[in-house]
Amino acid sequence: MTTLRLDRINKFYGAVQVLRNIDLDIAQGEFVSLLGPSGCGKTTTLRCIAGFETVDQGTIFFGSRDMTRAMPEHRDLGMVFQSYALFPHMTVTENLSFGLEVRKIAAADRARRIAAVLEMVRLTGFEKRFPRELSGGQQQRVALARALVIEPSVLLLDEPLANLDASLRDDMRFFIRDLQRRVGITTIYVTHDQSEAMVMSDRIVVMNRGVIEQCGPPREIYERPASQMVAGFIGQSNTVPGRVAGRENDTYLVETAEGPIRSLGPDGLSGEVRVMIRPENITTDPGGGTAVPAANMLAGRVVKSVYQGDGCILGIESAGGTAFTTNVRADSPLGAGAAVIIGFDARQAWAIPA
Amino acid sequence: MTGAPSPAIASRGGAQRPVWWLILPALVLLVCFLVLPYVSIVVMSFREASTRAVYGDGFTLEHYTTVIADPFIWGIVWRTLRTGLIVTVVTLLLGYPVAYHLARTRSRWASVLYIFVISPLLVGLVVRTFAWLIILSNGGVANNALKWAGLIDRPIQLLNTPLGVTIGLIHVFLPFVILPLLGNLQAINPEVAMAGRSLGASRLQTFLRVTLPLSMPGIQAGSILVFVLSISAYVTPAMLGGSQGRTMAVLVVQYLVDSFRWPAGAALAIFMAAITLSVIAVYLRLTARAMRRLP
Repeated sequence: MTTLRLDRINKFYGAVQVLRNIDLDIAQGEFVSLLGPSGCGKTTTLRCIAGFETVDQGTIFFGSRDMTRAMPEHRDLGMVFQSYALFPHMTVTENLSFGLEVRKIAAADRARRIAAVLEMVRLTGFEKRFPRELSGGQQQRVALARALVIEPSVLLLDEPLANLDASLRDDMRFFIRDLQRRVGITTIYVTHDQSEAMVMSDRIVVMNRGVIEQCGPPREIYERPASQMVAGFIGQSNTVPGRVAGRENDTYLVETAEGPIRSLGPDGLSGEVRVMIRPENITTDPGGGTAVPAANMLAGRVVKSVYQGDGCILGIESAGGTAFTTNVRADSPLGAGAAVIIGFDARQAWAIPA
Repeated sequence: MTGAPSPAIASRGGAQRPVWWLILPALVLLVCFLVLPYVSIVVMSFREASTRAVYGDGFTLEHYTTVIADPFIWGIVWRTLRTGLIVTVVTLLLGYPVAYHLARTRSRWASVLYIFVISPLLVGLVVRTFAWLIILSNGGVANNALKWAGLIDRPIQLLNTPLGVTIGLIHVFLPFVILPLLGNLQAINPEVAMAGRSLGASRLQTFLRVTLPLSMPGIQAGSILVFVLSISAYVTPAMLGGSQGRTMAVLVVQYLVDSFRWPAGAALAIFMAAITLSVIAVYLRLTARAMRRLP
């Protein structure tokens, strides 16, 4: 069942189009991330859903109701802001009580719901504290509790972890994800952090310059990127330009400067393409007949090796002049200047229209 | 690392110990131009009147007892306080929306509006008040506009009335309430008001329960500033008030300059200052209650 549907949303700031034909269906209980570089339109999209930005064209449906022009207070949303936006003159309890009082919930009911939510975010005992008396992580959880206590139909999160330090951020990812699963609330999460989106989401919507580049589960986004932008924005990637020469079953044969490369790709691909290979899917061998056989094997030379603690990053230039990056174990004998044979399977290469 | 001084430099320069002599210039200035004149006025207010010098040799409480017993003076005190109160309330009501808009707008015209706001401060006070003299006169713009609108048949008396003084003071002191409020409102995170809306509160509810309480420091600062300035204003009531619109400041100057009654004038000034201080003390207590939950 769809709880939220964006139907061809367009938005302009003056002459600049900031959202272009945004279509999105979000199912009940789904966790969807809007991911993209700054200025891609992800926060604007969230604010359109929340009602803080007007939509110039298109429709926003909550269930079957057209809410495109509804006031924010009538949309039944919970929202967590990047700055947390807690009411500084109210205690934790009063912050949580605000939304319930506006909804005219009876006092006894309010107290019960506030206690339950505070327990859920592990803040029991902090009821009488003011926001300024809490740490960043605790404020974050109060903001989450305040949004959840009103039992909204949709939870919106606008880069809620951006202001936390790295170790806390990692904990909060799983905390929010678990909480969302337990409550079963439909959630839209805006972030520019691809690993955050990857870990938390059922589906990721990758946005760029006001359009949706790709929308799908994390695995599909990572392994089967629909465009160069997605491949480059999510994780590391190596690309080899080429031209589709033919197809056997599901494997394309791509002519490149490195010779023919076998690669998977979306149906109906032809003409100019770029073959993408993730660094972790590349095998490296010093040569001399020890190479593990793979569908694609290219000769090259190591141009740099950077020690990273848990391994080394190798920069390799192939015979055809393409730069590859891959990871090897820290004790790998491959150093700068060494000859190398790199291999990757056809199933681990993905052709993208150029 | 250029900003942080090393511990060695900090201790050699005595950064931990306060460098007390740095306050000397300010202290000298304060003592010479604030404390000493005040002391001399207080002393003068207890001196006997004299016809040959500024004041006589003996000490007396007579000036204070006369001031406190005089219903005419109480009438002017009341009028002065009432004018100050009205000016403060009206400038707050007029200034708050302007400050709010200026704090939130992203328009490129914001700086133009800002200049409009401070523009009353850019023209000399006498010149501005003279303009009001023309506008408020019986044949002036204000009366003509009211007549044209059909609201009045005969010109209404605006000049030489408390109303005229109030109008003039509101214009003069509007920036003094807008500027502190603007600083205060700009410091309030706009997402806080958005959070109120997202939790189901209307614009009005969000304003009353979130934005307004958070802007209390700006309201307090601006209103005290305007109240104090308007009850001690001299030029505007002197030029627009006539005898009907006379305020305490005007009366004090009349005592000193026109009647040459320096000790009595000093007592009047001290009396007014005491009333002003008590009003502000009460106001601070009340507003402090409203702000006790703010960071």
